[in-house]
Amino acid sequence: MLSLKKKSEAAAAPQVPAWHPNFRNYEKLPDIKVVRTAFFINGGAIFVALALLTYLGTHEWQLHALNSQIAFRQRDIDQYKKESERDVALFKKFQAEEARIKEVDAFVKSKPSVSELLIHLAKTLPPGIAIDSLDLRDAGLTMRFSARGTPDVASGLATAYRDQLAADPQMARFDEVKFTNTPTKNPTTGRIVVEFFLHLKGAKK
Amino acid sequence: MTNDELFAVVKKHPVAVGCGLLSLALAVAIYFRSDAIPAAVQELEAKSTEADRYATNIKNAARLKEQLDTLVAANKEIDGRLVHVSAQGTNSQFFYKLESESGVRLINFQQTTQSAAKNAAFVPVGFTVTAQGDLPQLLAFLGMLENGTHYARVMNASCTLIGPKRDAPLTLTLTLELLGQP
Repeated sequence: MLSLKKKSEAAAAPQVPAWHPNFRNYEKLPDIKVVRTAFFINGGAIFVALALLTYLGTHEWQLHALNSQIAFRQRDIDQYKKESERDVALFKKFQAEEARIKEVDAFVKSKPSVSELLIHLAKTLPPGIAIDSLDLRDAGLTMRFSARGTPDVASGLATAYRDQLAADPQMARFDEVKFTNTPTKNPTTGRIVVEFFLHLKGAKK
Repeated sequence: MTNDELFAVVKKHPVAVGCGLLSLALAVAIYFRSDAIPAAVQELEAKSTEADRYATNIKNAARLKEQLDTLVAANKEIDGRLVHVSAQGTNSQFFYKLESESGVRLINFQQTTQSAAKNAAFVPVGFTVTAQGDLPQLLAFLGMLENGTHYARVMNASCTLIGPKRDAPLTLTLTLELLGQP
């Protein structure tokens, strides 16, 4: 700045022949401004250096704090790891034992209990109806029974029994109760023979 | 610029040159250390996750030993209730015992073989049984079979009245499986 300014002053001098030679060396003349230019240069340089130093210092301090936390968590890991590994091994044994029990549970619950089913059917059997046969298969239960009375009364009994079975909450394992054929009269007994099919939930139709 | 001129500049502005060099060094250091914080944060997260996982494992396993002991005891009991595929004598003995206790008459009894599912701990041992008796006898037989010593499931069941008379005996045909070991 100094040299430029001096040069410009020199350049701004009147273009008239000097009455004596100008021996001034503008580069070596002292800076006589109130606040020297060197002050701004040094100030700027110190400011930049200090700003960078502060930034780096903050960065390193943050890094130090993070490393302290890492060391702290590493101590936790060293402290808990063995016990945790022991517990994980124990849990694997637990899972293996649990799997066996679940398998037994699934086995037992996979099919309806026939004894409970027979007892329930016997308890809820309406008067005038007698079961002839029961056949439980994968798809469901085929129930054959005889209904007492004239054909119209017997058919009414059978329909009421079908509705009763369909509404029975203990028979909820079966989702559909239907006549498999038209009720017919048994010539030997004189009773009406009816056949129901109770479809098991989830079974193929 | 010659070396002499350079030295002259340095001599003229020593503070500015010194600060410039220091700034340069600091900038280089900042550049090379710029990845350190993200890496440290990542490492801290990984360590925290690992430490938390271990701590959770320990916390969740507070009563695991007792629970495992309970399951081991339950499995020992299960083992005692399993049938063995090859022990056909013992298996038939079980059914004849049911026959004598319930009062039914075993007409047919046959053990069939089943293949175990892959990775299954147990194998179902199949049986075909035909029994005759009155309703209470058959219900007692079924009850003892389904809720008795062994784990049983009835695959197919057929119960029919023999003859036209209501007081005639019933025939119960079962296809069933008992839970067993190979």
